[in-house]
Amino acid sequence: MRRSMRRTVLSVLALAGTAVLMGTGPAFATGATTPSPAPTSAAATPQPQESAAPAPSDGPARPAPSAEPTRTPAEAPTQAPAGDQVSVRPSGAPDTGVTGASSGSGTNGTAIGAGAAAVLALGGGTVFVVRRRRATGA
Amino acid sequence: MTAFSRRAFTAGALASLLTACGGGPAPEGHASRTPPPPVAAGRRRPLARSVPVRLLIPAIGVDTPVMRLGLAPDGTVEVPPVTADDRAGWYRHSPTPGRTGPSVILGHVTVGRYGDGVFRHLARLRRGDRIVARLENGTAARFAVTAVRTVPKTDFPADDVYGNVDRPELRLITCGGARTGDEYADNVIVFAALSGTGPATPGER
Repeated sequence: MRRSMRRTVLSVLALAGTAVLMGTGPAFATGATTPSPAPTSAAATPQPQESAAPAPSDGPARPAPSAEPTRTPAEAPTQAPAGDQVSVRPSGAPDTGVTGASSGSGTNGTAIGAGAAAVLALGGGTVFVVRRRRATGA
Repeated sequence: MTAFSRRAFTAGALASLLTACGGGPAPEGHASRTPPPPVAAGRRRPLARSVPVRLLIPAIGVDTPVMRLGLAPDGTVEVPPVTADDRAGWYRHSPTPGRTGPSVILGHVTVGRYGDGVFRHLARLRRGDRIVARLENGTAARFAVTAVRTVPKTDFPADDVYGNVDRPELRLITCGGARTGDEYADNVIVFAALSGTGPATPGER
């Protein structure tokens, strides 16, 4: 009796351990992909505002960048440039999306974690019921 | 195998089934390609300079705080961090919304395991849709969408996005198109022009 009970507990524990391992594998794999996106282009070419090409939504006339140095601390409390227009043009295209590949595995990782928790709860419940039955002699 | 261990095994198997069925489908990446029909919005008086603190796009349910972004060490524009509470970011070397020039705001389309980004549905915007940027000084700059473009990252229209313009405009940028490995192939860019200014209404606070 006691031996079979021990075997029951051991088998439940083994199952739970396997499920937890299954859950943590993808979770770690997801974690490795979390760092924010690495920009692809290399050359840093910050250049001042001199755009020859026309913008899409307006006429051809572009006002030359005005020379007025409008650094008025009262009006602009931030460290941002005070002049209008884009003062430093970034290079390359913005990388504003971490793809669903990692997104998908993240979702699965969460589900697997929840599943592992369910296995633990079920296993614990089984052990509890078995012990109760044995204790009551049913 | 005893009856008890059989019961335990059945319970474990059931739980494993639950685990296998729990994973939901990953969000689908989709960006519509809208040709850019530039619209001449009315001339508006530029606002005083004040940094944006909140961005609202009612048509796609966006209501997000706005952080400040600069340049990455390699010269590309910084993007907001990949976190669960994703937010938009204003490129601080561009004009503040409502000032003359192209004010640039960026946001993620997806944030990896956290799911949808704040600009998930940016490509659904249509010409005339309203965008509100609430500024630090309590005023709001209201814009109307003039064009939505989906362009390959390899052919990013830097002049159209960052080039000088003679009126207050707004650029919203995110990623879109097909996914290639860890990246999206395209950028979705929304062009908008100032349509109104004034104090932020209660709904815009």
